Amino acid sequence: MQIPQLEIIILGKGVIALSENVVKAKRKNSKINKNYYGYLFTAPFIIVFLLFSFYPLIYTFYLSFTNMTMMSKTYKLVGFENFAKLFQDKFFVQSLINTWKIWLLNFIPQIGIAMLLAVWLTSSRLKIKFVGYWRTIFYLPNILMPATIAVLFFNFFSFYGPVNQVGVRLGIFKDAIDFFRNSGWTVSIVAFIQWWMWFGSTLIIIMAGMTSISQSFYESAMVDGANSWDMFRKITLPLLKPVLVYILVTSLVGGMQMFDIPYMLTDGRGSPNGSIMTMNILMYMKFSSNKGHIGAAASVGVMIFIITCLSALLIIKLLSDKTDRKTNIKGKRG
Amino acid sequence: MKKIISFVLSILLIVGLFSGCGKSETSNNNTNTNTNQTQNEQKVLKVWSFTDEVKTMTVAFQGKNPNVKIEYTMIPMTNGEYQTKLKSALQAGEGPDVVTLEASFVREFIESDYLEDLSDLLPVAKDLKTYQFTIDMGTYEGVTKAFSYQATPGAYFYRRSLAKKYFGTDDPEKIQELVSDMKKFEQAAKVIKEKSKGNTYMVASVGDFTNLFFANREKPWVVDDNLVIDPKVDELFEIAKSFRQNGYEAQANQWQEGWFAGMNDSLVDAKGNPKQIFSYILPTWGLPYVLMPNSAPKEVKVEGSDKTKTVGKNTAGDWACIKGPMPYQWGGTWIAAVKGTKNLDLAKEFIKFATLDEENLKNWALGVYTNEYLKKIDPTIGDKLAQGAGDFVSSQKVVEEIASQFDNAETSKFLSGQNSYKSFAEAAPNISLKLIQGTDDAIQRALNDPLSNYASGKATKEQAMKQFKDAVKNALPDLNVQ
Repeated sequence: MQIPQLEIIILGKGVIALSENVVKAKRKNSKINKNYYGYLFTAPFIIVFLLFSFYPLIYTFYLSFTNMTMMSKTYKLVGFENFAKLFQDKFFVQSLINTWKIWLLNFIPQIGIAMLLAVWLTSSRLKIKFVGYWRTIFYLPNILMPATIAVLFFNFFSFYGPVNQVGVRLGIFKDAIDFFRNSGWTVSIVAFIQWWMWFGSTLIIIMAGMTSISQSFYESAMVDGANSWDMFRKITLPLLKPVLVYILVTSLVGGMQMFDIPYMLTDGRGSPNGSIMTMNILMYMKFSSNKGHIGAAASVGVMIFIITCLSALLIIKLLSDKTDRKTNIKGKRG
Repeated sequence: MKKIISFVLSILLIVGLFSGCGKSETSNNNTNTNTNQTQNEQKVLKVWSFTDEVKTMTVAFQGKNPNVKIEYTMIPMTNGEYQTKLKSALQAGEGPDVVTLEASFVREFIESDYLEDLSDLLPVAKDLKTYQFTIDMGTYEGVTKAFSYQATPGAYFYRRSLAKKYFGTDDPEKIQELVSDMKKFEQAAKVIKEKSKGNTYMVASVGDFTNLFFANREKPWVVDDNLVIDPKVDELFEIAKSFRQNGYEAQANQWQEGWFAGMNDSLVDAKGNPKQIFSYILPTWGLPYVLMPNSAPKEVKVEGSDKTKTVGKNTAGDWACIKGPMPYQWGGTWIAAVKGTKNLDLAKEFIKFATLDEENLKNWALGVYTNEYLKKIDPTIGDKLAQGAGDFVSSQKVVEEIASQFDNAETSKFLSGQNSYKSFAEAAPNISLKLIQGTDDAIQRALNDPLSNYASGKATKEQAMKQFKDAVKNALPDLNVQ
């Protein structure tokens, strides 16, 4: 049995896809009733979603109210006991803080640098050559297996590893640093890896958003004597907002579920000192503890789900423009 | 018409989705009937393990029983992946027929309902004079559920050349005198550091000697559902701090590159200075599996070309084996049958072969299972799988018969003529496992970070102990931690 992943992003996409189809069908072909085609064509997605995402989601909620373990065959409903324990557990609070910390540390530089690179690469003034080539290079780390990357970085930064060897010989640091026994370093390394893996993907989405902005806006702005910064602030950013909301929400969902890199990098328990113990690692730790507390693990999963949903809704609410009704509606459903 | 076409198309889409499930079902059915028909010809036994070790025995077993096919699955246990996978498979009823269990988690499973009763093999074990502690480890409430092919008394390995250099002698008895308890051990570490000007470390990591302290506790970790912190844990904290603060250990991590590098003298610190490790605290299996394979020069690729260069030197013959500061035992692999397996008889037969078969144990210990030997049985195993001589087996009868054969074995050459097998044979009957419990692994893992923090001076004793207790509470919510 596996703990189901809580992929609300699939839910979000699905509802948007469905609603769009229905709306379009209604508007365009109101005379000939083809409404049910929408349902029919989305049926494959809906069925898979119900079976492999929605059912596990509901089941996780159910499990979180039981005391099921892997080492015994019987279990019973225990109400909110798992949650009560969770809130007394300082590890949960710590994992919550860790997850947000690592996500913010990687997301802020990620969006900043991706934005900067996107402006450069799409700029009609700079006319940078080989745009496709750069885009590919930046995207490449995303293709690698996270497990491979974690092992790679672990070896880079190990006490007898190349970073220490090169760093000390070049005089960058005086003595070898024990990176993975130091919380600050370990958190930074995880944040760096996350940034390095994902800024290329963010870059591509932002570039797609930027190229879809009509050039005529920029041309007329130039005629009015606007400089690059003005154009970025007054044209690019506002028109990019839907794309930014999308990036923010998907990154948040991914960030809240961060697991593979921090798990593989050290001992799988968020060492040193639980500094990279994310909520998903805590969930896995409960699941793989010596009795295998499925109920307790599910309660962590439910909390991740609730936290992610609330933050995503908050982001959408804060970023959506009141005049931009369409985005608003879409967003609320996502 | 359009309507019909699009309707058909969408139906196709939906059907396509489920075709995956459908196909696998039918193919499953096919294989089922096939196996039913050919059951007399070939039986399949599924074995799960956490190393390649037992695979050697499965191949040998197939050599003896050509009508048996063993499906071997290896899942690493670095961060406990094997245990987790096994637990969830067993809970879902999708487990294998036979599982191997490592010392650190064997009790969890022995104390659960997931394993078959193997008590009817006990008379065989009695004939072979299987060491009692290996049987005790596999027994819960009078039911024996697992047997082991190994016994794993601990030992202490040191470099002869370095001993001569810093103590003027490499005589095992004299060195044993010098490290016969932890106080003297620490003193010896100091001598080595001073005489080598910090270029030789007593041990490669603090993790090396944690097992010594765990093995010599008075009380187990858990008594009546309460966590018990033995005074030995305090001692461990102090000595770890002393070793870290005084630079008696190389700050490597056990089972990682720097730790292995000490074995073939290829350890280089960040400034490029070569460093040496005086000793490793390893049990029986540490010799053939860890020390010997890693004490030869390693070939590494030269950057930017296809050429290779060798790193390190051959340290074989430069080692000696003694008891060390404290008696201990470490590790060991137990084999058990999963409850409800359809192949119980075959599973028992395999367990009997692997753990309680005189011929197999002899072959295992004496290095008969070479790659060529195994390849003749199964040509698909690749060029690496083989079992070197020197593992210490669980049967006292076998041990007594073969001990003298090790006088000229590779392991003895490695130790410059010392027959380690004989000294293990003396230590093995005295091992007791009364301290071992199902929760040990979780508790001892929880101690890693606090110990490291205290050793490096980042935390006071109180902080470290609190951190330890919190971690235990998190790992074992049912335990009372005061």
